[in-house]
Amino acid sequence: MSAKTENRLLDVKGLTIEIETRRGPAVVVDGIDLHVDKGETLGVVGESGCGKSLTMLSLMRLLPNKIRVTQGEAHFDGRDLQKMSNRELRKVRGGDIGFVFQDPMTSLNPVMRIGDQLAEPLIYHRGMSRREARTRATELLRLVGIPGPEERIQAYPHELSGGMRQRVMIAIGLACEPKLLIADEPTTALDVTIQAQIVDLVKGLREKLGMSVVWITHDLALIAGLVDRVVVLYAGTIVEDAPVDELYANPRHPYTRGLLASIPKLSDAPASRLNSIGGTPPEPGRRPEGCPFAPRCPLAMDVCRSHVPKLEPVSAAGSHRAACFAVEKAREAA
Amino acid sequence: MSVVQAQPAPLAEEAPVSLWRDAWYRLKRNRLAIFGLFVIALLAFTALFGPYLTPYDFLGQDLEARNQAPSLAHLFGTDDLGRDVFSRVVYGTRTAFLVAVVVTTIALAIGTTLGAIAGFFGNPFDRVIMWLTDVTMSVPNLLLVVVINASLKTPIAQWMEARYLETLNPFYRETVWIDFLLVFGSMALISWPPYARLVRAQVLSIRSRPYITAAQALGLSNRIILMRYVVPNALGPLIVAVSAGLGTAMVLESAFSFLGVGVNPPTPSWGNMISDGLRVWQHYPHLLAAPAAVLGLASVAFSFLGDGLNDALNPRGSK
Ligand SMILES: Nc1ncnc2c1ncn2[C@@H]1O[C@H](COP(=O)(O)OP(=O)(O)OP(=O)(O)O)[C@@H](O)[C@H]1O
Ligand code: SF4
Ligand SMILES: [Mg+2]
Repeated sequence: MSAKTENRLLDVKGLTIEIETRRGPAVVVDGIDLHVDKGETLGVVGESGCGKSLTMLSLMRLLPNKIRVTQGEAHFDGRDLQKMSNRELRKVRGGDIGFVFQDPMTSLNPVMRIGDQLAEPLIYHRGMSRREARTRATELLRLVGIPGPEERIQAYPHELSGGMRQRVMIAIGLACEPKLLIADEPTTALDVTIQAQIVDLVKGLREKLGMSVVWITHDLALIAGLVDRVVVLYAGTIVEDAPVDELYANPRHPYTRGLLASIPKLSDAPASRLNSIGGTPPEPGRRPEGCPFAPRCPLAMDVCRSHVPKLEPVSAAGSHRAACFAVEKAREAA
Repeated sequence: MSVVQAQPAPLAEEAPVSLWRDAWYRLKRNRLAIFGLFVIALLAFTALFGPYLTPYDFLGQDLEARNQAPSLAHLFGTDDLGRDVFSRVVYGTRTAFLVAVVVTTIALAIGTTLGAIAGFFGNPFDRVIMWLTDVTMSVPNLLLVVVINASLKTPIAQWMEARYLETLNPFYRETVWIDFLLVFGSMALISWPPYARLVRAQVLSIRSRPYITAAQALGLSNRIILMRYVVPNALGPLIVAVSAGLGTAMVLESAFSFLGVGVNPPTPSWGNMISDGLRVWQHYPHLLAAPAAVLGLASVAFSFLGDGLNDALNPRGSK
């Protein structure tokens, strides 16, 4: 057990996030446990609105107004992120944890040159001079595969295509060689070939820099070759958690099966892919009693509508877990 | 440097047009704005170099030639002391620009700082600053200026006189700049609230943009985020407001001069020329017409330019 904890980079326990609404507080993330080991790549999968972005933003204490963490804790490298002083937290942000945002069109400062946006964290976290930072910025742009980096650092974001901008975002996230890179759907805005390029890029960089990665997506197929382990989120709860090969070979939760069953239709628009499950996820604050997936679940039973299934091991090794009454539990070896 | 550079193939899809160059392109197509810009450039040149080029000294009295109608020798005629009105209008341009630029700069500095703090840091700063803004705006402008002038001018003049007697430093004899100080100060004091409101609104809207969260996720300090991410993005509407503000300041100075709380004679300002001219306009209309026409022209030019900038900087706005 102790060897395991030593290897933990990120450890989240019982994280609960609530939104203040006119009808009172609504739970959007409901007591989830997450962990990422050193050098590991975790995929976080789930439909739009299931709380993926808020979970990651909450780790860095970047939640928007009226949304807050009400329970749980998050340790990074053994330190409690929620209890850190603002000063310590600023060192972690950008320094230890790099973030790549969902939308490359709006996540770059439109009136600041690419080179300066890359230089800023280097100046703050690494104490570089502006000149050193610029040189490093050029190297970073080359690293993420942007042609002509010497000229590109002079460009403004709107002078670059979407794919190039996403590469710039990744370069910014990687600037200070963080221990953990959190990439929040970094490819949704891009077309399929460029998506694959970005995935390959991060794969190569991860090995080169020896960092851990959390890759958020709603596209299971895209990340198959990238991640070690997958966590499937549904309406703010974890419904399944397994090593990636295990998950593909033997998905247990009906929701995961639905997601995987729709993969052959990869060429379709993302919306139609997800609709193959039928229905839509519940809005925050309107979650049904019992299993949150019950209204859409083909296997739903009476017990599902009154009791909440717990996330429990479904394989002997215990590394594969699912939250569903229809899945037979692994008998404890002891 | 040539504008056309070899582009790496995959990037050629999007034409590299800078935000400002794009805005300039749109501005150029707006005739009224270009007219405004031309007039302002001409007036600015006059303000800078005019006083060295005028045929007469603005104070030079020629009692032989009083109240003359416009002629070739005196383009705008002469006034009751035989001073050349054209030369005085030219010098008044300098006064007008001085007032406009200094007042707008001070008002902008106060307004931007307070507005940015209110918007970025929120309560309790926001509440206090907005209260201050409302209070300032609810006091009638002219009243405030008259009160400031009436209550401060004499004490300051007396203090200066006492200083002079004490130190015999000729610096304290110079009273022209007290005048300027009071006019500039009081005008700035009533002009900052609109800037504060505008900047606050801008900051509030920019604060929730994704690139601000992205900057925070990089661990950047609030100061850097404010100075390099928020303020530059708020600049467009501010430029528009400044253009309009410069024109307003010129008109305001004239209004104050008219009420006797503006720049004092003998320093020529359009305002005090207009107020002098008003007393005799039935007999010597040119004494009113010349400064009034120039003031009107300047004010119209700034408002045309402001409108043009507004359209140029917000392509999604009107039309
Ligand atoms: N600023 C906000 N104000 C109010 N509600 C919000 C806000 N941001 C997110 N939410 C709500 O919180 C829930 C979770 O949002 P989140 O952004 O974490 O989803 P997501 O899983 O990242 O989805 P997507 O795939 O669309 O990015 C959603 O139902 C969303 O409507
Ligand atoms: S617990 Fe019941 S409703 Fe929920 S996923 Fe399993 S079978 Fe479906
Ligand atoms: Mg998201």
